[in-house]
Amino acid sequence: MTDAALKVRGVSIAFGGVSALDAVDVDFPEGEITGIIGPNGAGKTTLLNVVCGMNPPDAGDVFLEERSITGLKPNRIAALGLRRTFQSSQLFAGMTVLENMMAGLHLMSTTGLVGAVLRSKRMREEEEEMRERALTALDFVGFRHFANRAGDALSFGQQRIIEIARTLIHEPKVVLLDEPAVGLSVNRVAELDALLRRIRDERGVTLVMIEHVIRLVMGVSDRVVVLNSGRKIAEGLPETVRSDPAVAEAYLGHQAEG
Amino acid sequence: MRVLVGKRAFLVALFTMLFVIPFIANEYQTFVANLILLYVILSLGLNLLIGFAGQLALANAAMYGIGAYGTGLLMKHFGLPYWISAPGGVAIAVISGTLLALPALRLSGIYLALATLAFAQFTFWLMTHWTPVTFGAGGFIPPPVDFSPLPVTQETGIYYLSWLAALVLYVFAKHAMESPIGRAFVAIRDGEVAAQALGIDLLKYKSLAFALSGFYAGVAGALYSGMLGFVGPESFDLLQMVLHKAAVVLGGMGSVIGSLIGGVLLTVLVEVTKEFKFSIEIAFGALLIVFVLFQPHGVIVFVRRLLPGWNERLHYVPPGKETEEDFGAVPETDPEAAPEPGDSPTVPASQPRGGGPV
Repeated sequence: MTDAALKVRGVSIAFGGVSALDAVDVDFPEGEITGIIGPNGAGKTTLLNVVCGMNPPDAGDVFLEERSITGLKPNRIAALGLRRTFQSSQLFAGMTVLENMMAGLHLMSTTGLVGAVLRSKRMREEEEEMRERALTALDFVGFRHFANRAGDALSFGQQRIIEIARTLIHEPKVVLLDEPAVGLSVNRVAELDALLRRIRDERGVTLVMIEHVIRLVMGVSDRVVVLNSGRKIAEGLPETVRSDPAVAEAYLGHQAEG
Repeated sequence: MRVLVGKRAFLVALFTMLFVIPFIANEYQTFVANLILLYVILSLGLNLLIGFAGQLALANAAMYGIGAYGTGLLMKHFGLPYWISAPGGVAIAVISGTLLALPALRLSGIYLALATLAFAQFTFWLMTHWTPVTFGAGGFIPPPVDFSPLPVTQETGIYYLSWLAALVLYVFAKHAMESPIGRAFVAIRDGEVAAQALGIDLLKYKSLAFALSGFYAGVAGALYSGMLGFVGPESFDLLQMVLHKAAVVLGGMGSVIGSLIGGVLLTVLVEVTKEFKFSIEIAFGALLIVFVLFQPHGVIVFVRRLLPGWNERLHYVPPGKETEEDFGAVPETDPEAAPEPGDSPTVPASQPRGGGPV
């Protein structure tokens, strides 16, 4: 097994006394796709929120490439190479698709207010470079022709794909995807499957994906982690997890006892 | 036949007209033109904060007042010349504005509006009641502004200073919003959590938005103090805030050129309302309601519809509308060669989406 790009160690978090994650340890191997599954309320999104800095954990640590990122603000963690998508579409409605992509390159900009106001040469060059990179990133998902569309003028599925492209634009090490297939038709899910493989194989990005579409998550993931009630109950290869009795129990409930 | 008026031609015409007004108009008309310039500055600054960065703050009139009081009081109490006290007044407004960013890190929407309103009321109270410093409810007369060695009167001098400030601050706002700063503002407005996840520092950009709006309001206030030769609290009350907000909404939230138009329109409408001896409070309250209900994106929407080339980057796009390709065409890949993936039915961009604006 390769080294872990992202490590979660003993992470616990409670909201108003209700434990959402309880001493969770997970390794996310570099360059692999790890699927996170579990019933509703298992703590999957909470885990992503802890990792990306939105909810600092009550206990435990998160390491991005051996470096502790626990307690850092989300924008600092993003700067260290971790990006994410959300369950609902988060394209900025007041920007074009191209500008949305360029917003993903925000940290590339070195111009301050003075440079911006004076339209310094450096600023213009940086803007041009960002534009080029944004278009290249749109090419990766085949959406260059949408560059000048308003962000919210696209179908839901298209917005999801563009959001994924936006997470990739600044050469991240790890990308977290929160239910990327939600609301997609069967054909779209197949395309998403192919896109995720290309991101892993061509870009070498470590992907962490929460997903309820079992066919996608079992098909594309190198490893699967199962959460239930804030605890990790299983992890391993998709086929191993699939036949794990604890997993069946978490999804289907207890068999008649006694 | 369609008459096309370019944005640039409009700007040149507007600023040329405002430049020659003191030569051709009477004293009162020149005063109104000076007010136009101030409202353009106020509207531009407030739009950066509420239209671009999406921070619903209600303290712009207070910032305006802080600029005016700061300038006038530095002259009055310390005998400083206008050239020192005006930047001083602006600096005080910028600092107060930036401090308002602190509640904005925790609050948003109506809660931020209330917190900033409380600040504005507190400022107003200080202006009215802190008599030893602010001269209380009666206001005060700052010493005259000395333009020597330039052979101009105070009125003319302040007028052209305002003209220059409005022009420079328009370009300033436009350039700033067409840079990564503008994108960061709009990102925060449209999705704070997503913005942060892309590495955008909320503290930095919210503070910048508040500081900028404080700067604009402070400059307008410093000019106001010199223009009127009198500073009193009633100029910076809640009605004043409504007027600033009306100028932004009238012109178009999130549109720099819209704020220019909004500032002009607002001042003209205020004068018309006065002419008919109608209540300004009712007129502008009603105007705000009508615009918010029926055209929240302001008159700039009509202008854009009629005139190509008036589109801006980073503006509100009514859902379901494509933006025109007016800022650099993107070389398209062959649409046939790069079809939309999937044969599932997709929603054409021109079709209004379900769950549009309510």
